[in-house]
Amino acid sequence: MSAAAIPAAGPVREPWWRGLGRFNVFTGIVLGIGGYLIGALVIGHVLSKGIPAQTETNQNDIEFVCGILLGIVGFLVGMGFLNYPIARLTGAAPTLREKEEKGIARYFTLCTDHKVVGIQYLWGVLFFFLVAGLNAMLIRTQLLYPTEHFWSADNYITLVGLHGTMMMMMTTSMVLGPFGNYFVPVMVGAKRMAFPRIEALSFWLLPVAGVVLLAAVGAKGFPTGWTGYANLSVQAKLGMDCYLISFALIGISMALVGFNMLVTVYTMRAPGMTWTRLPIFVWSVIATAFLQLLAAPVLIAGMSLVLLDRVVGTTFFMPFSGGSPFLYENLFWFFGHPEVYILALPGFGLVLEILPVFSRKPLWGYRLAVAGLMGVALLSFFVWQHHLFVSGINPDLRPFFMFTTELISIPTALVFLNAMGTLFRGKIRFSVPMLFALALFFNFFIGGASGVFLSDAPSDVSTHGSFFVMAHFHYTIMGGLVFAFFGGLFYWFPKMFGVHLNEKLGKLQFWLFFIFFNLTFFPLFAVGMLGQPRRVSAYSPSLQWLNDWVTAAAYMIGLSFAVFVVNVVYSCFFERRRPEANPWHSKGIEWQLPTPIPVDNFERVPVINASPYEYGTPEAPLVANLNPSHAEVVAAGG
Amino acid sequence: MSARRLGALLAAVLVVGGGVAIGLYVALFLEASPPPVQAAVIGRRVAALELQTVAEVGHGENSFWVSYYARTPGHKWVHSTILRVPAYSLVHVTVYQYDSATGLRNPLWGQPRGVVGGVMYVNGKPVKVLNPELASHTFAIPELGVSVPLPGVDEEAPNQCSNAPCTLAEAHNTITFTFRTRGPGKYRWQCFVPCAAGFIFGFGGPMQSIGYMDGELEVQSS
Repeated sequence: MSAAAIPAAGPVREPWWRGLGRFNVFTGIVLGIGGYLIGALVIGHVLSKGIPAQTETNQNDIEFVCGILLGIVGFLVGMGFLNYPIARLTGAAPTLREKEEKGIARYFTLCTDHKVVGIQYLWGVLFFFLVAGLNAMLIRTQLLYPTEHFWSADNYITLVGLHGTMMMMMTTSMVLGPFGNYFVPVMVGAKRMAFPRIEALSFWLLPVAGVVLLAAVGAKGFPTGWTGYANLSVQAKLGMDCYLISFALIGISMALVGFNMLVTVYTMRAPGMTWTRLPIFVWSVIATAFLQLLAAPVLIAGMSLVLLDRVVGTTFFMPFSGGSPFLYENLFWFFGHPEVYILALPGFGLVLEILPVFSRKPLWGYRLAVAGLMGVALLSFFVWQHHLFVSGINPDLRPFFMFTTELISIPTALVFLNAMGTLFRGKIRFSVPMLFALALFFNFFIGGASGVFLSDAPSDVSTHGSFFVMAHFHYTIMGGLVFAFFGGLFYWFPKMFGVHLNEKLGKLQFWLFFIFFNLTFFPLFAVGMLGQPRRVSAYSPSLQWLNDWVTAAAYMIGLSFAVFVVNVVYSCFFERRRPEANPWHSKGIEWQLPTPIPVDNFERVPVINASPYEYGTPEAPLVANLNPSHAEVVAAGG
Repeated sequence: MSARRLGALLAAVLVVGGGVAIGLYVALFLEASPPPVQAAVIGRRVAALELQTVAEVGHGENSFWVSYYARTPGHKWVHSTILRVPAYSLVHVTVYQYDSATGLRNPLWGQPRGVVGGVMYVNGKPVKVLNPELASHTFAIPELGVSVPLPGVDEEAPNQCSNAPCTLAEAHNTITFTFRTRGPGKYRWQCFVPCAAGFIFGFGGPMQSIGYMDGELEVQSS
């Protein structure tokens, strides 16, 4: 028999279904469901016996909460999060074996490659962003008519709560999750994150929280919006438990991300990566990580205490039994206002990263930018009571919180100065990432200026709780963070996926989004000033035409996201335009690496030679020496 | 499989699967609305409505919720607050009030407003101002300027109703009044007394639920 007749003995591929038996998302779901059943039907049932408030009503919070908590534990066990600790306890050697997974399957497992986690975050965040966006469309549909409604009042407020909570939960990870995890280790010259398994855990808590939150729909919803105020929360139906647990999970995830990012940047920078050479995006991640680490535990505490009130019968927030709803308001907003900056700061960092590339100039006022980012982070812990101006707080506190809130506009303005200085006399290219970056400043300016009215106690009295507030925070968060996210996505997509997103479709998406974003939210300032309250679906018939205008414009924002989805499918599967190695001619270290970036990022620990913003200086060295000699490493302080 | 085929497959899955998923998701929020109850037409541009308020529905998922009921022209009590009345007409309303008093938080609401003659009749007697402490609920249509306080039954009265719909044999007050409708459209109406027992400060639950203490007046061209 000739050799050609004998088939070569290649690697034997096992059937796909065998993979289901390993630790992955499938086993996680199976154990999660099992955990829920055991928690609810066995543990919860036993614990709630003899408690009439639970068993004699048609609302047994103890069973439900036990079910969810054990379901979460089951899911994490099924994902394999206990394997490594158990192995180490039984004497196994340390390993990052999970990093070696190949193929699409690794996106559905516990993977310790930070680039995989970044991509997991990207699709996870996008999925929940689209679901929350769908909720927004349903909310606007309800507001087409002042009295005739599609959804009941209960379901409407649940929709509002789901939209707000999901957006606030998921968008905390919108930049830090995909781009922070993917690029921060690369940008500081590290081979991995400091705690790769914690990084994986921080991601997998996100879909768990999202699913638990969505389960509220089947558990009769929750009537509180995203703020979850007591007393409403204490007396709400089972869906409230979903809100509390999911938000607490996101708090845990946020704290873990912050802790991991800080340790990574602090301890794993390559030789030569001095603090003044850190990319500005990494500085924004540091500022955000501080906020996450300090603010998220307060959120976890607040959610846990409400859960105890509902399940165990404590009275932390029950005024009739010595508790105080004000305590909840303070706990929530001590987290809630820094959270606004947890959303905004990475967006600022991202656009400041993009501007020098597309204006071919160094970042103007680098140290000023760092001061601005850190100043915002610091001050954000001293402003939370402006949310409580009309709640009955001691009036003597108002001037202080007015002052601090207005003070925060100074470090924020530094970021604007950096942008203007960078753009001044630059050779500007209006590519899609640049368009999104520029739009952020236009939007955030309107958001910031309108914020002054809310930080001012006298004007806040008449605008509080109205659509004015709603317009303001959509201008800052959606107009800031979401625009920055898309800018970053178009900028880094070629590096992450080896495919260039279609520029024409990108510009179509941008203009649709930018124009209709403003046509949606600017009129809402007027709607709010005319007295329409948030979270209430019935409104004065005289405001119908404004509301209909806003709804039509909001549908067009939805269309712009549909263009994005079309662009991703078209670019990845039909056009498949392979980008140049460095399509934007960026000096960032990530663009010095091959695409896709190898598992360990760098063959050898690189030496950093220069700042990544040396544009317009022909003799400027490459940012990193990827193959340094021992002497160069030592000389750089390694 | 080539990238184009994979892309086409993915696009098809996104369109079909996404469409189905969105449809199912939207369906989760849809609820069956209570059936509309037609007012009895008793003359040219004159109609009559019969309602009752009960302290507890007494059955179903929200059995302890306070609620309105409406009576069809066929004299059947229906658990609904969606009322159909003719446009530009007088509507005679009869409310059988079975709940006890909780009191008005704003005493100004003790005066019937937006009703013909500025008067309501309680058990046949004309009343222009109700002692706010005696009120149990209100029937209010803000857009028409209608607000009528409904006196509650004595807590000590024998034969209290415990299961809706209540009957005339059980303790009640009968309140009648007349208001005038405007052009066709939907008008929100509701009780403005925070009467949701079991909820903090009486807000929430039945207060915000159509079919209980919140309703719609569907004014139709006659």
